[in-house]
Amino acid sequence: MHSLRVEGLSKHFGGVNALRNVSFSVETGEHLAVIGPNGAGKSTLFNVIGGHLPADNGRVLLFGQDITHIPPYKRSHLGIARSFQVAALFLELTVLDNIMLALHGNLRSRFDMYRPMASYKNINDKAHQLLDSMGLWIKRDELVEELSYGEQRRLEISIALSGEPKLLLLDEPSAGLTIAESEDIRNRINSLGSDITIMLVAHDMDLVFGFAKRIIVLHYGEIITEGTCDEIRHDLKVKEIYMGSEMGNTLC
Amino acid sequence: MRFVKTIINTAKLYMAKQQNRPAYFVAGLVLVLLPLFVAPYLRDIITKILIYAIFATSLNLLCGYTGLFSLGHAAYFGVAGYTTGVLMAHYGVESFWIVAPAGVLMAALMAAAFGFVALRGVGTYFLLITLAFGQLIYSVALKWRTVTGGTNGLVNVGYPDLGLPWFTMNALSFYYFVSVILVISFFLLYRLVKSPFGVALQAIRENETRMQSLGYNTWLYKYIIFIVAGLFAGVAGTLFSYHSTILVPSQVGILASTLVMLMVIIGGKRVFWGPTIGAIVIIFVEHYSSLYVPTHWPLILGCFFVVTVMFLRGGISIYLIKLLKRVVSLCIR
Repeated sequence: MHSLRVEGLSKHFGGVNALRNVSFSVETGEHLAVIGPNGAGKSTLFNVIGGHLPADNGRVLLFGQDITHIPPYKRSHLGIARSFQVAALFLELTVLDNIMLALHGNLRSRFDMYRPMASYKNINDKAHQLLDSMGLWIKRDELVEELSYGEQRRLEISIALSGEPKLLLLDEPSAGLTIAESEDIRNRINSLGSDITIMLVAHDMDLVFGFAKRIIVLHYGEIITEGTCDEIRHDLKVKEIYMGSEMGNTLC
Repeated sequence: MRFVKTIINTAKLYMAKQQNRPAYFVAGLVLVLLPLFVAPYLRDIITKILIYAIFATSLNLLCGYTGLFSLGHAAYFGVAGYTTGVLMAHYGVESFWIVAPAGVLMAALMAAAFGFVALRGVGTYFLLITLAFGQLIYSVALKWRTVTGGTNGLVNVGYPDLGLPWFTMNALSFYYFVSVILVISFFLLYRLVKSPFGVALQAIRENETRMQSLGYNTWLYKYIIFIVAGLFAGVAGTLFSYHSTILVPSQVGILASTLVMLMVIIGGKRVFWGPTIGAIVIIFVEHYSSLYVPTHWPLILGCFFVVTVMFLRGGISIYLIKLLKRVVSLCIR
C-alpha cells in the first residue's frame, strides 16, 4: 500500500522551475531520503506535500485520497506531520506549551476556550513522556527562545512526532548542529518505529545513508535518479552533480 | 515566637503554591472599599477606569495575545454604546436585560462582519482596514443626526433598570454593578487566555505557518477572537453609555481607538493585567491634566508614551510585578 503518491508535480516561481513533473511513491513504513544540491527543489517539494505552497500541476495522494487542494491543517488531521529546516517554534512560549499545543492540534479540545490547558491530565502525561525521551522535561518551564540551538532542534522533532503521524516529513533535521548533537539526532531518527513512513531531506550524508532504504536525487526540480544507497553511491550522474563539492568526496 | 514562625511558614508555603491569590484578595478588597473612602467625583472616575479596563483588556486579546493590531476597536465600543443609548433615550426601553444584550450583540455582529473582511489583510493592511472601519462607524455617528444626535451628542441615557422593584440604581450602586461585570468579564477572559484556545492564539502570533501544520485552522482562530474582542468591547461600550452623561462621536473614532491602544502599550501587552494598569494611568493623567493644563493634555500623553517606549519596554506592569515580587520576598524574609 502506498502511503504517499506524487504524480506529475510541478511548481514554478516566476521563471524558475522549482519542481518539474516530479512523480514518485512511498510505501507505508518506508524510509525515503531526498537529496540534491542547494536549490534542487527539496524544500519546495515538502512545502507542496505539506500544503504550504499550492501545486501548479499534478496531484498529491495520501493513502489513495487526493489532498492536492486541501489546506495544511486538514492534512495534519489526516496524519502528515513535518519538521522545518529552520526551527519553527513558538519562541515566547514555554517548552511545555509548545508540545501541549502540538498534542492538542488533532483533537477537538483545541477549540476549548474555558478549561486551562495545564489541567488536561492525559495530554500532560503524553507531553511528559515525549519531552522525557528527548531529555527536555527539566526544561519544560523555560521559554523556547532561551534554549540552545540543539535543544530547539530536539524540540522541533518532538513536536513533529507528537501527533503520532502516519507520514513524517523531516527537513534537514540535523542542520547547524555540532557533530555530537547531529549524531544524537541521527540515533533518535533511526530508533523511530517502522510503522511510520518517513521522508527525509538532508545534506548530512551520514544521516542519509544510515537512515534511508531508498534515495531520490533531485536536481533543478527534476528527479535525476533513484535507488538504494549503494546504487546512488556509485551513480555517475550523481557524482557529476556533486563533483568538486565536499559531498562529492564523501560519495566517492 | 514559635506561633509566629508557624504562621510565617504557612504563609510562605501558601505563597509558593498560590502566588496570585493574595494579590486577587487585595485587589478585591480595594475594589469593594474604595468608593466608601473617596469623593464622589473620584468614584465616578474610578467607574470610568473599570469600564476602560474591560475595553483595553478586550483589545489586548488582539494586540497582545494574537498579534493583530486593530486601530478601530472603538467601533465596537461605540456601536454597543449607541445601541444602548438610542434604545434608552429614544425608545424608552429601560430594562437592562433587553438593552445590554442588544448592545453587546450588535457589537459582536459588527465585529463578525468587519473581521471577515479585515482578516483578509495581514500586518499593516489589517491595521489600515480596521482603521477604515472604525472611521466608518465614526462618520455614521457624526452624520446620522436623527438617531445619534451628531456632534450635539446623545443625552438622557440614565442608569440601567435591573427590573427589581425595590432597587433603583444610583452612582454608588452603579460602581458596584460595573465592578461585578468587570469581575465576571475578567474571570472569563482569564480562563480564555489560559485555555488551549488562548495558548493557540499566542502560538499563532509566534508562527502561524507552524500552527497550520500542527492542525490548527488559524484563520478561524483569528476570526473567533476578533468577534470575542468585539463582544467584550461591546460590554464596555454599553456600560460606558450608562455611565457618561453624553455620548459623542469622538468617543468612537480614531482618537478613542488610539487611546485604548495606548493603554494596552503603556500598561503592557504581555501581561493579562497590563491594560488595566494602562487604563488606570491614562485616565488619571487625562483627568488631572485636563483639570490643570487643559490645552496640553495630548502633549502630556505623548510624553508618557515616549517614556514608556524608551525606558519601560514591555509596559509599566512588568516593572510593577518585579517591584511587587521584591516587596513580597522582603516581607516574607
